[in-house]
Amino acid sequence: MKRVLEIRNLVKEFPGVKALQGVDLDVLEAEVHCLLGANGAGKSTLIKCVSGVLEPTSGEILFQGEPLPPGDPAGRLKRGIATIYQELDLVPDLSVAESVFLAHEPRRWPLLDLDKMYRESAALLARLGHESIPVRAKVGQLRPAAQQIVSIARALSGNVRLLIMDEPSAILDEGEIKTLFEVVRRLTAEGVGVIYISHRLDEIRRIGDRVTVLADGRTTGTGLPATTPTDQLVQLMVGRKVEQLYPERLVGTDRVLLEVRDARRLPAVRGVSLKVHAGEIVGLGGLVGSGRTELLRLVYGLDQPEAGEFLVEGKLLRSNRPGHAIRRGLGLAPEDRKSQALVLDWSETKNVTIADLNRFSRVLLDVRNERATAHEQLRSLNTVPDDPDRVVRLLSGGNQQKVVLARWLLHQCRVLLLDEPTRGVDIATKAEIYRIISDLAKSGLGVLVVSSELEELVGICTRILVMRDGEIVAELDGKDATEHELLRHAVAPSDAPELAEEVV
Amino acid sequence: MTTPAPAEQAAPAFSDRLKGLRIQEYGLAAVVVLLFVAGSILKPETFPTLDNVRNMLTQASVVGVLAIGMTFVIATAGIDLSVGSIVAAAGVFGGILIGDGTSSLVFILGAIAFATFLGTVNATAVAYARIVPFIATLAMFSIARGLALLLNDKLPVSLLDLNGGSFGDPRPFSLLWFGNGRIFGIPVSVYVFVAITIAGWIVLNRTRYGRYVVAVGGNREAARIAGVPVRRIIFSVYVLSGLLAGVATVLLCARLGSASPVSGNLYELDAIGAVVIGGTSLAGGRATIVGTFLGVLTFALIFSLMTQLNLSTEVQQVTKGLIVLGAVLLQRSDSRY
Amino acid sequence: MSRKRLIIWIVAASLLAIGTTACSIGGGDEVTKTVTVSGTTSSGTSSGKTVKIIASVPPTDHGWLGAISKDAKAAANQHDDVDFELLQAADADSQAQQIEQAISQKPDVLVVLPQDGAALTPVAQKAERAGIPVVNIDRLFTAPDAATATVLGDNYQIGVLAANYIADELKCKGNVVEIQGLAGISVTTDRTKGFTDTLKKKCPGGGIKIVASQPGDFNPDKGLTVMENILQAQSDIDAVYTHDDDMAQGVVQAIRNANRDDEMFLTGVGGSQDAMKQIEEGGLYRATFLYNPNMAATAVNMARLIALGEGLSELVPPEVPRQLVVPAAVVTKDNVKEYEKYAFN
Repeated sequence: MKRVLEIRNLVKEFPGVKALQGVDLDVLEAEVHCLLGANGAGKSTLIKCVSGVLEPTSGEILFQGEPLPPGDPAGRLKRGIATIYQELDLVPDLSVAESVFLAHEPRRWPLLDLDKMYRESAALLARLGHESIPVRAKVGQLRPAAQQIVSIARALSGNVRLLIMDEPSAILDEGEIKTLFEVVRRLTAEGVGVIYISHRLDEIRRIGDRVTVLADGRTTGTGLPATTPTDQLVQLMVGRKVEQLYPERLVGTDRVLLEVRDARRLPAVRGVSLKVHAGEIVGLGGLVGSGRTELLRLVYGLDQPEAGEFLVEGKLLRSNRPGHAIRRGLGLAPEDRKSQALVLDWSETKNVTIADLNRFSRVLLDVRNERATAHEQLRSLNTVPDDPDRVVRLLSGGNQQKVVLARWLLHQCRVLLLDEPTRGVDIATKAEIYRIISDLAKSGLGVLVVSSELEELVGICTRILVMRDGEIVAELDGKDATEHELLRHAVAPSDAPELAEEVV
Repeated sequence: MTTPAPAEQAAPAFSDRLKGLRIQEYGLAAVVVLLFVAGSILKPETFPTLDNVRNMLTQASVVGVLAIGMTFVIATAGIDLSVGSIVAAAGVFGGILIGDGTSSLVFILGAIAFATFLGTVNATAVAYARIVPFIATLAMFSIARGLALLLNDKLPVSLLDLNGGSFGDPRPFSLLWFGNGRIFGIPVSVYVFVAITIAGWIVLNRTRYGRYVVAVGGNREAARIAGVPVRRIIFSVYVLSGLLAGVATVLLCARLGSASPVSGNLYELDAIGAVVIGGTSLAGGRATIVGTFLGVLTFALIFSLMTQLNLSTEVQQVTKGLIVLGAVLLQRSDSRY
Repeated sequence: MSRKRLIIWIVAASLLAIGTTACSIGGGDEVTKTVTVSGTTSSGTSSGKTVKIIASVPPTDHGWLGAISKDAKAAANQHDDVDFELLQAADADSQAQQIEQAISQKPDVLVVLPQDGAALTPVAQKAERAGIPVVNIDRLFTAPDAATATVLGDNYQIGVLAANYIADELKCKGNVVEIQGLAGISVTTDRTKGFTDTLKKKCPGGGIKIVASQPGDFNPDKGLTVMENILQAQSDIDAVYTHDDDMAQGVVQAIRNANRDDEMFLTGVGGSQDAMKQIEEGGLYRATFLYNPNMAATAVNMARLIALGEGLSELVPPEVPRQLVVPAAVVTKDNVKEYEKYAFN
């Protein structure tokens, strides 16, 4: 089997930082080679060197046996190297066809050859099994999963031999992930080599052929089979044993902190009732579109319910403003922390205190107290770095999430509403976050967590409620639940039962 | 991966930290010093004198007060194009309000009230009717100018009667005192400007309200989710801008001795310019009163220097533009759009 | 859109265009360039006696322009046979558009004070070619066929008069500051040129120095701040030549604030009431040069004559002159009483 990519002793230095300290990697044709590593390990730097965005300090990169000249990211596509970033680099207002051919549009000089563009992009989509995506539709109107397919089609348009995918499953639900894997298999069947970066170990087992692990800019293990046990992989990533990914399961008390009665807001939420007790972690599982995020928004007051009552500690929650919800003890960590929870240009301190400034001010803000208190909070959560003046934009995903959690800890809320709390967070930090959530619940809070990672729900929740099409269709005891069962309830009964078989 | 690999082992570059904002302010302070030095070299007898400094500070006061208000508006990612026209309209309104009377207080309160009223119209349009700030305040720019011309049939209103008909030696707290009066040798309008600057700094940086204002600009959705009353905050900054325009009117009319319907022409551009070169981001989320203050001084210095050098208009316009560009480039290390 | 439909649209559009032009050509009657006694009546008026005059002026952001509008309207009201309409534009472009629309209303005469003479010359020529005589006020068009008659203030002469006055008062020795109006327009350049040319002729030794010359944009608050800075820079000023009375109010304030009103004197242009009052009181404000807005009344009267095919009886044969230059007058304390009634405010 020929090697489509060979990396030998790659070093990349920035002023003051050695991001890569000698990385080795090789990717064969028609293989899916997974790349694993904690945040800061150097995965994205490595990828950027291959895709030409960065120029390596030293070392070699051979593509199809020939040395790859550094730089020139735009030319990479023509050579046959395509990168799908996690934040898809698509322009929402362009059509699908325009996006696929952006920067190398077919021309009938001097004008664009629109017919050819439409035809060829449709053909590319068909190759991926997605001819149903309309080529004239604006990219911004498509679902994230479809947008991702458009990105892949764009990669194909350049006759790709090496496809790099950076955490593609982060924005997808289970059904879409299965579809993605089919697409990947089609590509490898054509001989394309794929580098697949993911934090999800179960995916590596499902789609990967081999695994390379990076830690601190070095390769700690390369070319390992995808069936390598989790413990071993985690140890290679973190350099130490991570004792247990999931903390001890909680039991919960009888005290009801949050009660939802028949909440309704069409079309997403169609009559949901649930209870969250002190000391328990309640999971909300389901496919994308089942109404989980919308339910949280209703509880928190971001959207107006058409019907239903919400009670916090037995008292009715009357108005629909977040300010009111916060005062009554609710806290929300939204799905997209960068665009919905954090002011990226602000310091850690300001992001932590924003929901509870009353605490620090009578007339004027006591800035010193604010900083000290926030610092303490951040430290207690082991935020790295716990520098209260550090601009939040520079933190890794996991640490940004800790800042958001610190905000609610500071405010001493009663019920935490978490929407995809570990999305885009590396394994080691995930474990920490699970522990934080567990400690919070133990101290008397109630936690309602929405997650698309079935493994996670099964791992930490006291109870799991499954939503489908705006209603709760099942309640499972956390102890006994399996991912298989969760998925079965999440998917409409008529949908392919083999979907459920896919889950390991 | 969602973020670039943080250089956690390395010492963060200076611009990483929040103090990066201070770099911009230092940069602009350097520009101010440079301009002053240049003026002292080019016109050694007349530029670096106490009298001239007093003069420049006085000239800076009117636009300065407007710029402080503008800082708050821009901090919410908004903009107010109408302040210059409001200055004119409020002055004329105050003038007709007093009629033949001589009460300075009536003029001052009337002008400020009218300006605040116009600011409230802006606020309603932006916060409740959801009209884009650029458009809403552009409309007011036109409406207020029209009102200024309409209210007194295009004529200016003489205000000399408010001091017994002439200029010299105004009574403390009479209208003209705000223009020409002095306390310990410093003109009253400078005190007003500095006081408003200090108050603006305190509110923006040391109150909940100020924090909320910047939050709304920084990330409106996140602010909302964190419990900030977004709509009310947006409403308030336009009212504030109107109110400060009223104060600016008082200062201007006090110096002119009349309320002119054509005054305030394009003041909003100077105010916005001062705010932006000061380091406040037009996209919201980052605001600095110190920067605005320095920006106002910069423009005052440029104007004074070029007029004293008797440069022709053409040369003045080119020079001003180049200095502004230079000031912005000096701050580039931390700019983000 | 299919080819066929495209062709149909093009054909329809062309027909429409041809039709409109044809109508407009056919509509206008004789094009009167010079008006003679034989009295060809004007075109298209139903009763044959009412004269329709449309006037177009720039935005009234200044007292002088406001007075122009008032005087024009007043003059029109004096005549029973005049149907008068005044249009105010926001800027040169919209004024051009307004005049175009006015042309299609087919008035008997157009009276125009252009925001910018050069920019509006084409549309004025268009009116003339369509058979509508144009009377041009103040700011000159740049082509001779753009207007039938012109009523001008003589800006150059204002500069001359000011220079003569100041040179006499200072006996050809001293420092002078010039505060101009809006930089770049013909009014300003003429007033400056008249001033500097005359000074050179009158004081050949160079005894009078222009130590500063800055634009005040015809705006009192700009006049104020500019003068403040000049006062800082110049320790010895003998006279200030300003281009405008309204703007001069700000200049006067600056001088008074600095307590330097005894050091110098000031002249303005325009003849505003405030200026007249101050000239009468004496002191800092010594003179103004009358550049009277009631030249608009003159223009309207002339327009009416043109439309009726009549002329000034004093001329032999009776005609409407092609160009009328309204003299500027020097107004000082000695003669201010006479000119007060012409003052605008």
